[in-house]
Amino acid sequence: MATRAFLVTSLLLSCLLQICSGAYFSSLQRTLIVTASPKAGEVLKSGEDKITVTWGLNQSYPAGTDSAYKTVKVKLCYAPISQVDRAWRKTVDQLTKDKTCQHMIVSQPYKASNNSVEWTIEKDVPTATYFIRTYAYDAEGQEVAYGQTTDAHKTTNLFGIEAITGRHASLDIAAICFSAFSVISLFGFFLVEKRKTRVAK
Amino acid sequence: MHGVTGREQTFAFSVASPIVPTDTSANFALPVDSEHKAKVFKILSLANPHMRTFHLSWISFFTCFVSTFAAAPLVPIIRDNLNLKKGDIGNAGVASVSGSIFSRLVMGAVCDLLGPRYGCAFLIMLCAPTVFCMCFVSSAGGYIAVRFMIGFSLATFVSCQYWMSTMFNGKIIGLVNGTAAGWGNMGGGATQLIMPMLYEVIRRIGSTPFTAWRIAFFIPGWLHVIMGILVLTLGQDLPDGNRSTLQKKGDVSKDKFSKVFWYAITNYRTWIFVLLYGYSMGVELSTDNVIAEYFYDRFNLKLHTAGIIAATFGMANIVARPFGGYSSDLAARRFGMRGRLWTLWILQTLGGVFCIWLGRANSLPIAVLAMILFSVGAQAACGATFGIVPFISRRSLGIISGLTGAGGNFGSGLTQLVFFTSSSFSTATGLSLMGAMIVACTLPVTLVHFPQWGSMFLPPSKDVVKGTEEHYYESEWNEEEKKKGMHQGSLKFAENSRSERGKRVASAPTPPNSTPSHV
Repeated sequence: MATRAFLVTSLLLSCLLQICSGAYFSSLQRTLIVTASPKAGEVLKSGEDKITVTWGLNQSYPAGTDSAYKTVKVKLCYAPISQVDRAWRKTVDQLTKDKTCQHMIVSQPYKASNNSVEWTIEKDVPTATYFIRTYAYDAEGQEVAYGQTTDAHKTTNLFGIEAITGRHASLDIAAICFSAFSVISLFGFFLVEKRKTRVAK
Repeated sequence: MHGVTGREQTFAFSVASPIVPTDTSANFALPVDSEHKAKVFKILSLANPHMRTFHLSWISFFTCFVSTFAAAPLVPIIRDNLNLKKGDIGNAGVASVSGSIFSRLVMGAVCDLLGPRYGCAFLIMLCAPTVFCMCFVSSAGGYIAVRFMIGFSLATFVSCQYWMSTMFNGKIIGLVNGTAAGWGNMGGGATQLIMPMLYEVIRRIGSTPFTAWRIAFFIPGWLHVIMGILVLTLGQDLPDGNRSTLQKKGDVSKDKFSKVFWYAITNYRTWIFVLLYGYSMGVELSTDNVIAEYFYDRFNLKLHTAGIIAATFGMANIVARPFGGYSSDLAARRFGMRGRLWTLWILQTLGGVFCIWLGRANSLPIAVLAMILFSVGAQAACGATFGIVPFISRRSLGIISGLTGAGGNFGSGLTQLVFFTSSSFSTATGLSLMGAMIVACTLPVTLVHFPQWGSMFLPPSKDVVKGTEEHYYESEWNEEEKKKGMHQGSLKFAENSRSERGKRVASAPTPPNSTPSHV
């Protein structure tokens, strides 16, 4: 009796803890099928090229699997090669701490099929190798399922994005002008003062 | 360095008249001594030339700190724009503090040749192009190179301290230099607030993130140019005017650089303080470079929130560094030099302990508390260090100060290279390891022994001749130089330094062959 009570309370506590600490990626089911327009190895330009993502429920799962799914978020995620030596993109099982998917493509209410979005790659997306993942959320806003364009080891069907440089010709010219002003006014002042003291002597 | 005098016991804002006679013939806003150096330190005044020099000097130094550490709070954006790895970010941090190791050593000579006004203006205006260069950067290599070049500007520390020494009397120079250095160092904190704010404003106006951070760098660049022009137009080298228009007085004989250098490097205490300053100032500079990114990543904060927290680290300098100097003086009043050494050891070790705690803290409030305590410990230790450095040598004070300053930068570069560049451990672990290293590298202060004052654990020498201040400071001059009377300044300094005996001054016997203390 006491052991049963103990087991029940510990089960309840662990469920509570899970809810408080958020979902774990390893506990999610891969029930969604996601496809995206970029081909494997293709390199796209941010700010110019578009990505078309389509997703839907995998029909081989029993009906009612998606009863809890309320919203869906489609995200651009870093492939392992772009995470090397970059701890700020680390994959962690606890989803509240996971930094794999940092760029949001779209957030929509859940529909079992006919989902598609065309997204122009935003200008703050860095140069890296990516894949696309879609998370399904329940009414409390916690992840319950996912789907992605790559395999479980994140090795296939990856594509690259090339970022903008952020440089502009106008900035370059302004920098050169101000630098020249600084150097010229310094030496100008120095020479003028030298000449004044020479005249005074 | 000419004109740099030793720091005296009193931490007063003014010098009492009977000890240093006021030159009543001079027509300055502040009371001055016979060299026309100010005897009073009126912080809120802009009186020409003394207080105006103070403000021009510390603001120039502040500006250089702002530009050197301007990239640090923007690293989360820059790392995405330039596709940086952790190693690149770490190397850039090392580069930003390495440039000035060399430039600080050169600046002393430049101040001697051109005067501190041109020394400061040349450096700050020639580094302005390097700040503007940030907008050209498109790779890790370029980023590291530009941060290295901007880092040269930290040599304004030397011109700042040198300039203060020409304008303020020796008895208050400690407070003046400490305040100028502390307020200048604050720039490392202010930049963590300023840059994210500028970045936000520029983004709101409509710029994309990867362009906005480049535009933000224009502001420190303009500050360089503005301060350079102000220094040239409003500043002057000496209280009576600029060095080129004055005739040089002949009563201070020029010392030989090789001799001064020799006595600096053969004194073992110099090297202990080079190491110690590397672990008070050095860790302060390293933390300026990593702390904003640390809070951003570890606690998932917004860029400007991380900046605000990181700023409190550097801003603590406004009181922490003067506090360190003041504690050192307070301890010296009772316990003399031994008190100063213990104060330094306690402050720096506590700083190290809080740094270990910072790395281990898992919640945001605890991390912020640990960081603030760490900042007070480290910065007060910087102030306490320069409470002792002027007593290491009278003849070579300039070079020893320069070497100690360079040691600070070297310590920073080394710390960043070892603890914050490798991917094999996290930044949090790096911070804790840095804290442990601070505690370990502060232990050598126990080895600093003055024959006339003792050390942390040993009493002063009982020898009647060797246990005097005169013997210690005279030993830097050989017989030939003593015959020429070149050591008179050192003798005067030795007399004044008797206050470092603490409460035992009254009981100390007057050593033979020296002038009595009250003339």
